[in-house]
Amino acid sequence: MFRLSKMARRSAFVASTILSLGIAVTVSHAADKVTLTFANWADAEGATRPGIQAVIKEFEKENPDITINSQAISFSEIARQLVLRVRSGNPPDVAEIAGNDTFLLAQTGKLAPLDKLIDSKTMAELAPASYEGYKVDGKLIAFPWTLAAAGLWYDKAVMQKAGLDPNNPPKTIDELMKDMAAIKKSQPDVIPLGLDTTNRAFSLQSNWPWMKTFGADPFAKGGAKSEAMKKYLSWMRELAKKGYIDPGRKIGEFRPLIAQDKVAFLWDQVLVQGVIQSTNKMSDADFYKHYGVTTQPTGPSGKSYSFEGGHQLVIFSGSKHQKAAWKFVKFLATSPYAIEHYTLSYEASLTPLKKAPSDALAKKLDTPVFNAFTSKIMPTVTTPPYGPKFAPGSTAIMAGVQQAVTGDTPIDQIAASIEQNLGN
Amino acid sequence: MSATTLDQPVKPAPARKNAERAPWIDWMVLPTVVVLAVVIGYPVVYTLVLSATKYNMLDMVPPRYIGGGNYQHLFTDPIFWTSLRNTALYTFGSVIASSLLGLTLALLTESLTGWRFRSVRALLLTPWAVPFVVVAFLFRYMYLQNGGVINAVLLDLGLIDKPVLWLNNSYLALPAIMVANIWAMMPFFFLLLSAALAAIPNEVIESARIDKAGTWSMVFQIKLPFLRSALFISSLLMIISNFNDFAKIWAMTQGGPGYSTTTLVVYVYRLAFENFNFGYASAIGVVWLILLLIFALVYLRAVRVQV
Repeated sequence: MFRLSKMARRSAFVASTILSLGIAVTVSHAADKVTLTFANWADAEGATRPGIQAVIKEFEKENPDITINSQAISFSEIARQLVLRVRSGNPPDVAEIAGNDTFLLAQTGKLAPLDKLIDSKTMAELAPASYEGYKVDGKLIAFPWTLAAAGLWYDKAVMQKAGLDPNNPPKTIDELMKDMAAIKKSQPDVIPLGLDTTNRAFSLQSNWPWMKTFGADPFAKGGAKSEAMKKYLSWMRELAKKGYIDPGRKIGEFRPLIAQDKVAFLWDQVLVQGVIQSTNKMSDADFYKHYGVTTQPTGPSGKSYSFEGGHQLVIFSGSKHQKAAWKFVKFLATSPYAIEHYTLSYEASLTPLKKAPSDALAKKLDTPVFNAFTSKIMPTVTTPPYGPKFAPGSTAIMAGVQQAVTGDTPIDQIAASIEQNLGN
Repeated sequence: MSATTLDQPVKPAPARKNAERAPWIDWMVLPTVVVLAVVIGYPVVYTLVLSATKYNMLDMVPPRYIGGGNYQHLFTDPIFWTSLRNTALYTFGSVIASSLLGLTLALLTESLTGWRFRSVRALLLTPWAVPFVVVAFLFRYMYLQNGGVINAVLLDLGLIDKPVLWLNNSYLALPAIMVANIWAMMPFFFLLLSAALAAIPNEVIESARIDKAGTWSMVFQIKLPFLRSALFISSLLMIISNFNDFAKIWAMTQGGPGYSTTTLVVYVYRLAFENFNFGYASAIGVVWLILLLIFALVYLRAVRVQV
């Protein structure tokens, strides 16, 4: 039989001990390292991918014990995928979400309440308006990441060409109609008003402030058949008949057009500045000379409204690493690095903080556009009745809006059909 | 030697007397049956079960049995009936138009030979090679009110005085999508009918010529009867395919404006994946399945008759 010498046995013992210790240390080190799954569309879109990847890299550098597994899912798919993943018991740790989808996910009861995770210091730094809308049954279910309210963008060059005062944008619907008539007459190839009239939940979110300024609330009992709603639908029909809007285009399709002076007024979010500048390569100074943004022209209610179209971050209750997830969420939404290199650079949006975390960032946020949004537009934000009825309701309401815009069916009939399809 | 007349059907050859029957061979189909049961059987049965329940995926509660409640709702749901009407118009309109177009082109190019035939065939088959989503976006941009090539050409020719809202007019949107669909589907019919035309025996054509058959009688009396079975089977296949067409409609109008281009597949998609109402969506899915089964049975029967 093969026999080992005493020396060889000792060497083998020492080698196996070292190997065992090495494996044990590696395993324990791996056990300390946390991997977070982050479902988001920022990584799915070419325009924002470099920004989010840089921010994730920076976070991992600052937190070597946490690795982020970014899962890129398109904006239009993310709600469906997250609901299906929740149902199959396989949700990510953190997800980017927006609009009604946030509340749909909350309805599953599988979002971790953030109140227990957020420290009081961070809470005190947030502007209350940025998070109050995300409380469900008194619990905070989503953390505001970027704030992107909508305002009325106006192209000063187009206004000037139409003989209008470029520094005096319309303040009422009547003024808007007069201005659009002048624009249509002087520049027939320009779309006077860029408005999203597609049939999707986002379109209702975008059109909600216009319904509100007419005093309409289609979700209320009898609301779709109300006089206010009929007035709104009639106004939409008038816009289409006079060729003031280009129906069927998604809001994103108007952005490159306003960058080329092909749209006069655009009802869109704060992030438009970034899209326009990336299209026409304008400097900041030229941009502010060429474009302006103001509050929505008031309708019969006499009030201006806006909608908040920013993005939120949610943590799932099934996550085993909620503390690490919160650390990541906090970094994305409030760290100076993420604000500078993502929120401002790639989303061109506002932050949920009351004030900028540094003087350098304060200077970057001190622009005519950000100031208009912060001081004038954000206070007019109204939240649509998000929840399980919003998505099916939006199909019924926007189908009615499309019927008003594109057909000749009497408005009374359209209003009655919306009411019926809403099941009010 | 006994002569077999054309009237007498040819009997199949009898099995060899000493051919051995091995029963275990029958069991070889078992894996296929299991796979089909899992991949097709289970979803169909589960859809049937779901169609009798109230089930919203967001509620995180199990489906609740409501019997025929969803089917009852279906009969009073105006959107369902609009979708069904649109599906029928879209499917039959597209198939009839593209088959006629394919047939006409096949007949027109029949006499071409050599490089001419190859070039024309390659040109006519190009739309078939374009993915449906690309077709949809291509036509969507062509139809645009501002900047669309179709309106630009019509305006330049003086045929219209203002741009037409092709996809944003309740009456024009469905026909406009059908035009895109016909353009994409026509090569399928062209290809099949060209092959069927080539298979017509030369003797038949020659004898018709000797009998001095004119162009129209040659087409209607001689060629069309030979093409009937190819036309019938290809149309049935395309009816089934168009019944399920989602990509073009979704990419071009998302079922709008209003519900003017909402077909069953679009409606089911909205119910299931936007509203997460799987119970009602399943009920519509069952009706849809029954309609498709009818077409599939007709198709199978037609194929059997041909064989």
